[in-house]
Amino acid sequence: MNQGDALPTLADKPVIERVATRPVEETYRSPAEWVRKNLFPSPFNSFLTVAFGLFVLLTVRGLLNFVFSEERGWDAVRTNLRLIFTHAYPEEQYVRVWVCVGVMVALAGLSLGLFAARGDGVPLRKISNALVAAAVAVAVGVVLREPSVLIGADGEVVRTDDAVVRQSFADAMSDRWGWWLTAAVLAVIALGLRRVPALGDGSLRTIQAFNLAAIALALPVLSAWIYPWGHYAFAEGEFIAEPGRTVAISTKLPWTVMWVLAVASLLVGRWVRSRIGEQSLSRLRIAVNLVWLAVPFVLYWVVLRDPDLDWARITQVDVPLALAFGVAGGIVLWWLTSDGIGELGRIAALALLGLAAFNWLAAFMGWYPMLQKVRISFLLLAVVALLAHNFSGETQKRRRLLAAWLAIMAVFHYFATIMNTPSTVETPTEALIGGFAVTLVVAVFTLMLSFPLGVLLALARTSRLPIFRVMATSYIEVVRGVPLITILIFFVVILPLFLPANMEISLFASATLGYTLFSAAYLAENVRGGLQSIRRGQYEASDAVGLSTSLRTTFVILPQALRASIPPLVGQVIATFKETSLLAIIGVFDILRMANSVIPAQTQFLGIKREGLLFVSLVYWVFAYTLSKWSQRLERRLGVGER
Amino acid sequence: MWGSDSDSRDAKQGRDGKGKHDVSISDATVAVSDELAARDDMIVCREVDKWFGDFQALSGISATIKEQEIVVVLGPSGSGKSTWIRCINRLEVHQSGQIIVDGIELSNDLRNIEKIRSEVGMVFQQFNLFPHLTVMDNITLAPIWVRRKSRSEAEEQALALLERVGIPEQAQKFPGQLSGGQQQRVAIARALAMEPRVMLFDEPTSALDPEMIKEVLDVMEELARTGMTMMVVTHEMGFAREVADRIIFMEDGEIVEVGTPEHFFTEPEEERTKLFLSQVL
Ligand SMILES: Nc1ncnc2c1ncn2[C@@H]1O[C@H](COP(=O)(O)OP(=O)(O)O)[C@@H](O)[C@H]1O
Ligand SMILES: [Mg+2]
Repeated sequence: MNQGDALPTLADKPVIERVATRPVEETYRSPAEWVRKNLFPSPFNSFLTVAFGLFVLLTVRGLLNFVFSEERGWDAVRTNLRLIFTHAYPEEQYVRVWVCVGVMVALAGLSLGLFAARGDGVPLRKISNALVAAAVAVAVGVVLREPSVLIGADGEVVRTDDAVVRQSFADAMSDRWGWWLTAAVLAVIALGLRRVPALGDGSLRTIQAFNLAAIALALPVLSAWIYPWGHYAFAEGEFIAEPGRTVAISTKLPWTVMWVLAVASLLVGRWVRSRIGEQSLSRLRIAVNLVWLAVPFVLYWVVLRDPDLDWARITQVDVPLALAFGVAGGIVLWWLTSDGIGELGRIAALALLGLAAFNWLAAFMGWYPMLQKVRISFLLLAVVALLAHNFSGETQKRRRLLAAWLAIMAVFHYFATIMNTPSTVETPTEALIGGFAVTLVVAVFTLMLSFPLGVLLALARTSRLPIFRVMATSYIEVVRGVPLITILIFFVVILPLFLPANMEISLFASATLGYTLFSAAYLAENVRGGLQSIRRGQYEASDAVGLSTSLRTTFVILPQALRASIPPLVGQVIATFKETSLLAIIGVFDILRMANSVIPAQTQFLGIKREGLLFVSLVYWVFAYTLSKWSQRLERRLGVGER
Repeated sequence: MWGSDSDSRDAKQGRDGKGKHDVSISDATVAVSDELAARDDMIVCREVDKWFGDFQALSGISATIKEQEIVVVLGPSGSGKSTWIRCINRLEVHQSGQIIVDGIELSNDLRNIEKIRSEVGMVFQQFNLFPHLTVMDNITLAPIWVRRKSRSEAEEQALALLERVGIPEQAQKFPGQLSGGQQQRVAIARALAMEPRVMLFDEPTSALDPEMIKEVLDVMEELARTGMTMMVVTHEMGFAREVADRIIFMEDGEIVEVGTPEHFFTEPEEERTKLFLSQVL
């Protein structure tokens, strides 16, 4: 994979070091001064500040009253946490889910260690300010929230004629001593942090972002050992939804393991980074990126599904087929890259493409039966053959192409075999997973598939060849003119009718296909924006050094275009992530459907819907916000807009 | 590495007096009628016309540039200098006439264009480095993927070239971290890495701060001494006077006057040339 060397992936670009001109700590302004300058600079602005302040306070009060009301059935959420996140994955196999989480956590930690630059660190003063703000917020919240209703000796709410009776304000305030204590503890920690810099030699003034994150993540994990946040929802493979059976008994340990795993892999990543040279580091980074690409497939099809492999078939059909394609394709590619093959090579590659296209046509016409794998292998071979001329000449390059081909065949045939093998995991519904897991899986597969498609569409739309341009433009305009839900329903309900009799497509796959085609059209428009931002000089310079159109696109134009379009691309990623909630409408048990239909239908929690919906919104928001923050970091790192 | 073999250097050093080449521009055109061009003709243009829509940017350009010759093209802004130089490596397409580079005629045949582009290096006014690649990757990209060199070989060559242009220590930096003069020297190294037979320069110092102009001109001068064939559009009269073998003066898409620097700066014949010189000198 020589390509990877010359074309660093987005994430492994070394950070451009800039001379620090900004002072480490801003000049200190007293809070009173800040308030006067920013909130009450003029009578009119003072009026606005007061008006909006009142509005915000009233909104917060309403929210607090809602969340802490005695009528709230938060047990519905606490009991169903597992259902909300993974649906009814069998209890005795649940460790598979944890393996998935663990693999991703470890990989994330490792990547952070290998990629992320050690920043300046977070000033303790900033943390202290945040803690003070939190303490104030808690105190304000305690005062704002209306007094609780009185509960009589019989456990019933005390009522007069038609209204509930509430505590007196003073009683309410003293009843909430726990919250006051929380605010006080936060304030004490904040003041303590303020004193730290004064003690040391100044090295204590900041804390590394990694350490801060580790501490921040440790707190909720630790809290699970003290307070049972969640309750058990399953026992002996049966849904019980019984308040009081705590799930924290089973999740506090795994989450602790996850925390340790995250920190350990981060440290390993950093240690490795400090030990190896620049060149092997960039190789390692490419390897980690490739692992990231493979992980969703491995986790979903191998770990979660636990395929029931049929060894007889594998040794008699699958392995020989893969070997045959590997060897025969290898020979073809070796020949295609030999010296002086010239035009003949192009013709041969095009002939292969024609053969592949014919195979697909035959599949749709039902002319002759053939394993789907064979058709796809032919197509892959044709594509690689078309690119082969870039690797001709030197033996080393030809060997690399050959190795890449064998790797492609191995990976493809492995996954094709796994996917065709039935699962051994049995769940109450047809789908393997549901809830938030399905949201993630659909979003991740959609993005992985729609990114390449979107880039190709964008290139086609800006191509000089009218046929490509017209096709891409019509596709994009058609898809953008149709609501997503229509496309999804089309793919789920109507597409199966169009497929030949021997082809079947699962609900999951057809939904992902619909999302992919939809998202690709939007991604294409974003990438096109990036392509248009590239100055003509870049094309001319590439031409002047003799790069062909495909080399120019791969190494010069696309890397810059993608970088320039990171903000809208991330916007599209977030949109796709949120749009997966439409899965609920086409019959998939996703996180929204859990909150909206499944939980309110449980006998114990009949009709309790609002709590679940609020919680689900919170989960969506946390993810979307994290993504957005991460993209801002990425932008800064790659220096978007400061070329 | 880039034409620095001793023969060519000797040949160059042998002629200290300028004006070894004939002043006339049409003799080569007349001399070879059955061949495409004479053997030591590097660039031959015959009656080249170029229109942008209705606007004729080049009209009847005929000129021959010999191997190892340094030709400076002068002329007021908008006179078609860039257009001409860009036609020579097909960044612009001329509509009529012939352009022959190293015996290969520019036509719509894609292979000819590829061949000529790998024979001709070009340096732009705006440098046009690839901002997302390090200096090293900027230089090695084309040698690796077009010349099919191995990475180590290409990097070795790139380091030698950076040494040559005086910035070997900047190899791992990004273009945005370099000064304008350094960027332009990287651009020269990038062009040289393809081992071209001709180098085209389109106002290589016009975008530079005054204190950086010299470092770029020095590199170009050194390149001229090694026997590279060069065609340079510039407003640096000092460079034209010192380094050029011939000067071509253009105006309104036409070649107005051709001559040695000596002839050109001391006894120009055409009125338009005199006017131009009175404005710039
Ligand atoms: N792409 C273009 N489209 C239309 N007109 C152009 C284009 N490029 C150059 N021209 C015109 O051609 C003439 C010559 O331009 P140019 O070769 O850039 O001049 P010079 O380099 O001598 O300043 C100018 O009048 C310019 O406006
Ligand atoms: Mg110009």
